[in-house]
Amino acid sequence: MNKIIHPIEPEELMAYLDGELTADQATATAAHLGECTGCQGVVADLRIVSQNLKTWKVELPKSATPPAIATALTENRPAPRNVSPAQRQSWREVLGQHWPTVAWAGTAAAVLLVVFGAVRFIGSDANNVFSQVGSQMENSGSDRERLAASLRPPQAAPVNGRNFEQFAQLSPGVAQPKQSAPGQDQTANGPMIIRTADLSLITKEFDKARANLEAILKRHRGYVGELKVGGTTGSGRSLAATLRVPADQLDATLTEIKTLGRVESESQNGQDVTSQYVDLQARLTNARNTEERLTDLLRNRTGKLSDVLEVERELDRVRGEIEQMEAERKTMASQVSFATLNATIREDYKAQLQVVPPSTSTRLSNAAVDGYRSMVDGVVDLALFLLSNGPSLLLWGAILFMPARVVWKKVRRSFAA
Amino acid sequence: MISDEALMLEFQGGSHPAFEQLFARYRGPLYGFFRRRLNGDLRAEDLTQETFVAVIRASSQYEQRALFRTYLYGIAMNLLAAERRKLAKDSPPDEQAPEPATREAPDSVLWIRQALEKLDESEREILMLREYERLSYAEIAYLQSLPVNTVRSRLFRARMALKGHLEPERKTPETAASEARENAGLAHAEGEAI
Repeated sequence: MNKIIHPIEPEELMAYLDGELTADQATATAAHLGECTGCQGVVADLRIVSQNLKTWKVELPKSATPPAIATALTENRPAPRNVSPAQRQSWREVLGQHWPTVAWAGTAAAVLLVVFGAVRFIGSDANNVFSQVGSQMENSGSDRERLAASLRPPQAAPVNGRNFEQFAQLSPGVAQPKQSAPGQDQTANGPMIIRTADLSLITKEFDKARANLEAILKRHRGYVGELKVGGTTGSGRSLAATLRVPADQLDATLTEIKTLGRVESESQNGQDVTSQYVDLQARLTNARNTEERLTDLLRNRTGKLSDVLEVERELDRVRGEIEQMEAERKTMASQVSFATLNATIREDYKAQLQVVPPSTSTRLSNAAVDGYRSMVDGVVDLALFLLSNGPSLLLWGAILFMPARVVWKKVRRSFAA
Repeated sequence: MISDEALMLEFQGGSHPAFEQLFARYRGPLYGFFRRRLNGDLRAEDLTQETFVAVIRASSQYEQRALFRTYLYGIAMNLLAAERRKLAKDSPPDEQAPEPATREAPDSVLWIRQALEKLDESEREILMLREYERLSYAEIAYLQSLPVNTVRSRLFRARMALKGHLEPERKTPETAASEARENAGLAHAEGEAI
């Protein structure tokens, strides 16, 4: 048996299996493998090793993008590749040889626009233009103010120094824009104004006024926020109530309540909260987005336990803020939808003369009761005095007894002498 | 299918979807790379994230000199080396007990792990890069800073040694490689004699 040099090295067999040989080498190796049982055994061994190694499988992580990568993507946004100067074209190159013509045409068009604009300016109402410029200047503040301003409807021109709202408040017949229900985007319907009114009345028929007040409130779909009635029979009574009525019903309600008596005082107030409401809604939207992102992070948590706990703490904080802002938003919407009317009604009381005196037996009975009560009160007062001052009296008596006795003896002696 | 390199260039130009595709392609393999070499799946996942974060942060400097896969595993190997240095510094080697890479590790996996641990470190790394990361000899040579022929011979030695470790009752690891050569030569000689 002669041992000769093997034409195909075992490493080449391995490289053949790994696809690392050139096409010629692979063809030659394949041909050799077909007839060499020894090489077939080596290949079989190599395959077994690879198959054994493949049994070690690793569980793949979840498919969501981890927060660290999302953050890195946001922070390190790759800049778009710069165009090389050679690739840039100047505007002259773009326009070609006609660029002087185009430039002249552009200049002429600009001059025409300026002239046309000036003619229109002179021919139109300068006040309107100035007012538009003024409103633009007002709106040129922060983005939030611009957003709030864009949500307001165009205001009517002032009438006798009063704007539409003031005019409507003083004129019950003029209908105001209807407020939407709480929870809706009210800013889309117009400015958000919290209206409050104070009304003080005096009436001779207190009971009737109170009953009518409730009827008026029911008719205008309002409700009582708080109600207090004070005073006793024989003296003037008073009613203090905080009423909530739909904002568009406030004027009609006020007019009817005024018929219940004589008006002592009246005041109205309107607070524009449009910008606060828009601001609150924006913050609420942001907070909800943050909550959503944090929830996603928590759902796809892949980091350390401390990171997860940190995310949960942040989520709790954001949820607390959302609840607080939601409550604030609802309160504001409710205040806008329902005006507050603080009504005070006082009774115009006249003291009446007691014409019929009480009977003798009643007077005797009352006197007996008063005497008995007086006696008991005296005994109780004495007992109370002794209990509260007795120890002090005893102490001072003991201290002053001997000096008083000496003085008393001297006085007696002097009288005896 | 768009190549990795084209996607990376797209991402360099500002395309996030391109990165998402790369992330989807390599998240699992990279996690496996770290998980098979380290204890603890959370740390493996952290290092996977760190690798991608490094890719994002260095994206402006990326140049298409080599395959994206090689570039990616180059970063991963640097992170792995740093992690190993940190582990060696923080805790004695006795405490770094091996932990199965799967939650319900079958005996065969433990058997494979134990056999791999018996290999020389360099040979084991080459073998794992080939078998699990499916890198070519040239890529492994680039990552390990070795000639391709050295990679090939070490890979063969590692495979034969592993075969011996997986069949301890029949062969010893030292003789497995020489035995394979002898078998091949003997069979061929017998063939010539016949």
